[in-house]
Amino acid sequence: MRTRVNGSSATLERPALRDPAWVRWALIGLALGFLVLFVVLPLITVFAQALHRGISAYFDALAEPDALSAIRLTLLVAAIAVPVNLVFGVVAAWAITKFEFSGKSLLITLIDLPFSVSPVISGMVYVLLFGLHGWFGPWLRDHDLQVVFALPGLVLATMFVTFPFVARELIPLMQEQGIEEEEAAVSLGACGWQIFWRVTLPNIRWGLLYGTLLCNARAMGEFGAVSVVSGHIRGLTNTMPLHVEILYNEYNFVGAFAVASLLALLALVTLVAKSALEWKWGESLAGSRH
Amino acid sequence: MTIRVSGICKRFGSFVALDRVDLEIRTGELLALLGPSGSGKTTLLRILGGLERPDQGSLTFFGEAALGLTPRDRQVGFVFQHYSLFRHMTVFNNVAFGLDVLARKDRPSRAAITEKVTELLRMVQLEPLADRYPSQLSGGQRQRVALARALAIEPRVLLLDEPFGALDAKVRKELRRWLRRLHDEMHITSVFVTHDQEEALELADRVVVMNRGRIEQVGIPSQVYNDPASPFVYDFLGNVNRFDCVIEAGVARIAGLEMAFPAVGMTAGPAVAFFRPHDIELTRLEAFAKEEAVSAEGASRAQVRHIYAIGPSARIELDCAGHSVEVVMDQDRLRGLGVNGGDWCGVKLGRGRLFRAGVVAATSIDQR
Repeated sequence: MRTRVNGSSATLERPALRDPAWVRWALIGLALGFLVLFVVLPLITVFAQALHRGISAYFDALAEPDALSAIRLTLLVAAIAVPVNLVFGVVAAWAITKFEFSGKSLLITLIDLPFSVSPVISGMVYVLLFGLHGWFGPWLRDHDLQVVFALPGLVLATMFVTFPFVARELIPLMQEQGIEEEEAAVSLGACGWQIFWRVTLPNIRWGLLYGTLLCNARAMGEFGAVSVVSGHIRGLTNTMPLHVEILYNEYNFVGAFAVASLLALLALVTLVAKSALEWKWGESLAGSRH
Repeated sequence: MTIRVSGICKRFGSFVALDRVDLEIRTGELLALLGPSGSGKTTLLRILGGLERPDQGSLTFFGEAALGLTPRDRQVGFVFQHYSLFRHMTVFNNVAFGLDVLARKDRPSRAAITEKVTELLRMVQLEPLADRYPSQLSGGQRQRVALARALAIEPRVLLLDEPFGALDAKVRKELRRWLRRLHDEMHITSVFVTHDQEEALELADRVVVMNRGRIEQVGIPSQVYNDPASPFVYDFLGNVNRFDCVIEAGVARIAGLEMAFPAVGMTAGPAVAFFRPHDIELTRLEAFAKEEAVSAEGASRAQVRHIYAIGPSARIELDCAGHSVEVVMDQDRLRGLGVNGGDWCGVKLGRGRLFRAGVVAATSIDQR
C-alpha cells in the first residue's frame, strides 16, 4: 500500500514523466467513460428497475415468502461457508508460511484451483459425487441423507468456490512478516496456541478481515456452482442469485431487480468496507514496518 | 561449567553448518562466537537457545541433558539480530510477554509483573517510552527493549545474535560498553555472536573463533590476538601481512625476497608467515651497505607508497620487491625517521608466526 502511494507521488514530481494535458485528459475520460458505461449504468439500472413501480411495490417484492426464504438461505449458506473457509484459510496460510514440508507447492497450487475452474464444473463435481447416481449416492440414500438439491450441497459448492480468498490474502502477508516474532515468542516460553493468539493473529488481523469480506461477498453472490447443485426448488433451495434468475425469467422485473438490488447493496457495502480496510490496514502495515 | 557442547553436527541440505563442535562455556562469563558469515556461529547459538536441533552430538546445561528441553525449560534469554520485537505491542507489553505467557500457577500477579517490567525498563533507560510501539523507536532503543524482554524471564543464560550488527558505529560503541557494564553487574552467563573482531576482542572474556563449521581457537582476547592457532585466525583477527614461504633445511625463505628466518623442526615444503603491521620495523637506508638488498641487521630495502597519518599512529604502505607490506608505528617515531612518500627505507620483520601449509604445525618467529 505504502509503496504504491510513494510511487505515484514520485511520478507526479517528475516532469519528464508528464504527458501533455490532452493525453492525460483523454486517458482519464476514456477510463471514466468505460466505468460509467459498464459499472455505474448497470448499477443505476438495477435500482431504477427495482423501484420503477414505487417503493411499496419494492418492499412487497422483498417481503414475498419465496424471496424471504431465498434471503434466509443465502445468509445461512454464507454463515456456514465463510467461518469454515476462514479457519481453513488461516490454517493453510499458517502451514505454508511458517513450516517447511514436502508437497508445499502442490498445496499452494490446489488452493488456487477454484479460481481456475469454472464454477459450473465445481457444482457438477458435487452432483457426480453425491447425486443419486453418484459415487456416494446409494450410500447416502440408504442412510437417508440428502446432499445434492439440499442445504449441504449448497454449502459444499459455496465453500469450494470461495476457499481461496482468505488463504490467498494471508499467504503473502505472512510470508512478508516472516517467522521472527514467532521465534521470539518461542524463546520467551510461549506455547503454540499462545503464539497464534498473541503474536500471529494480531499481526494478520486486517488481512484476515479483508479476505473474509471478499469471501463473504463471493459466497452470497455465487451463481454457477450453486445453480448446479440447487435444483431450484422455490422456497427451499433457491439462494438469492438463483431467485433473481427465476423471477427474471418469469418477467417479474420488479421482484427480480428488488432482490438483485440487495445483492448490489451487499457489493457496495463490501466495497466501502474494503476501501476503509485498505486505508486502515495500509497505515497499520506501514506503521509496523521496521 | 554451565554449558557443555560436545560433537555437535548440523547440516542444512548439503551445507555443513557445524562439524563436530566441542565447547565449554563457564558460569558467569561473557563469551564471543566470532567468525565470518557461514562459519556456523549463529547456528551454534540457535542450538544453544533451542531454536534449532543438531543432527548429532550432545548438549548439557548445568549438568543436565538439554537437547530434549524446550527453550522455556532451558531458561535462556535470546536477543535476536533484528530484535524481532512484537510490532503490535507496546514496549511495556513486549517486555512483559515472557511473564504473561507463564502458566497461571507460575505467573506473578499483575502488580508484580508491572513492577518487574518497570524496573527492567529503568535499567535499560527506557522507562519514559513504555507506551511506545517498536516502530516509534530508534535502533539502539529497540535493541535495549529486546534485551529487557529477554532478561524479564530471569534466564540462566543470555544469548545474543549479532547484538550490535544493525546499529551505526557510534551507537554500537556506546551499547557495547553499556552491555559490558551490565554483564559485570549481573554476572549472567552470556554468549554473543559477532563477525566484528574488534567487538569480540573488546567485549568478551573469552573468544571462540569459528570457520566453516569448526572451532579454530578458543582463548582470552589477548591470547587469540597474539598467538593465533591457525592461519585463518591470523588472517581474520586484525590486519596482517602474509608472506608465502618455502621451508628448506630448517630455514624459511619468503618467495621472491632475500629474507629468511629459522624454521627449526619443520619439514621442508610450502609455508605461510604472518606479521602484524605493528610487529614490523622501519629502519633508515643508511644502515644498508651500498647496493646491498639486505642490511647487516636483516632488513630489506623497500619503497614507501603511501603514508596515512591520522591519529596517534601512522599506517605506512610499502613496496618490498613487489610485495605489499603494511606497517603501523607511532607518528613521533615516523617523524624521527624522516621518511616520506616515495622514499626508500629498510623493512625489518619482527615478531610473527610461521605455519607449515597443509600440516597442523606452527612456530613463532622473533627476530627483534
